[in-house]
Amino acid sequence: MEVKRIMCCCGSGLGSSMLVRMNVEKTLKNLGYTGIDVTHSSVSDATENAADLFVVGKDLEQFVSSLPRVIILDNIMDMTELETKLDAEMKK
Amino acid sequence: MKNMLQRENVQIVESVKDWIDAIHVGVQPLIDGGYVEARYIDAIIENTEKFGPYYVLCKDLALLHASSEQGVLKKQLAITILRQPVRFKPDGFDVRLLVTLAASDSESHMQAMQAVSNIFTDEKRIEQLATAKTADDAYTQFIAAANE
Repeated sequence: MEVKRIMCCCGSGLGSSMLVRMNVEKTLKNLGYTGIDVTHSSVSDATENAADLFVVGKDLEQFVSSLPRVIILDNIMDMTELETKLDAEMKK
Repeated sequence: MKNMLQRENVQIVESVKDWIDAIHVGVQPLIDGGYVEARYIDAIIENTEKFGPYYVLCKDLALLHASSEQGVLKKQLAITILRQPVRFKPDGFDVRLLVTLAASDSESHMQAMQAVSNIFTDEKRIEQLATAKTADDAYTQFIAAANE
């Protein structure tokens, strides 16, 4: 399914999730994907209908285990890891 | 950006006892300046116990924060440089930089997070900030990163 909405999540939905959101936006641009809505929020807002794809750090993996499409980042600040995983997911 | 980080909220500290002490030390300047209530400390500790230290984003960086409703009065950042690193979990990263975020809403600290992103995606800049000789120097580095 085509990804139109990406939600980046952290515990409070303010700090780390905003960083991930900025990194996702930058990466999408580099990869040439346009027209995708990227938001950031807390994991408690991450429900199946909230987005097509969710991005979270490894520490929060257990809180998003019920969601169908999730990217788990081992290192939140590693742009290479994000680019690889995001590109793979966008091509599915 | 200068409104988001006041010079007096940048500090260099020799060491902390453990991760709980790190949270106390890292948040204290924001309590002293009237940016957060004392309960903000408890909120970060509680969130850590619930979710784990997810705010340790990479080696050397803990982006300490709780949500806006957990005691934030005015948006602001504090930066604490630890000469001796601390760990937030036994197998976690060594952390020398505590960036404490008090966010008043979910969007308005975007420029501050841009500065964090500019520094912490670059190992050389992390090292430069962690080994800053004075708080003035660290402050200048951070403001410069925000204005890129």
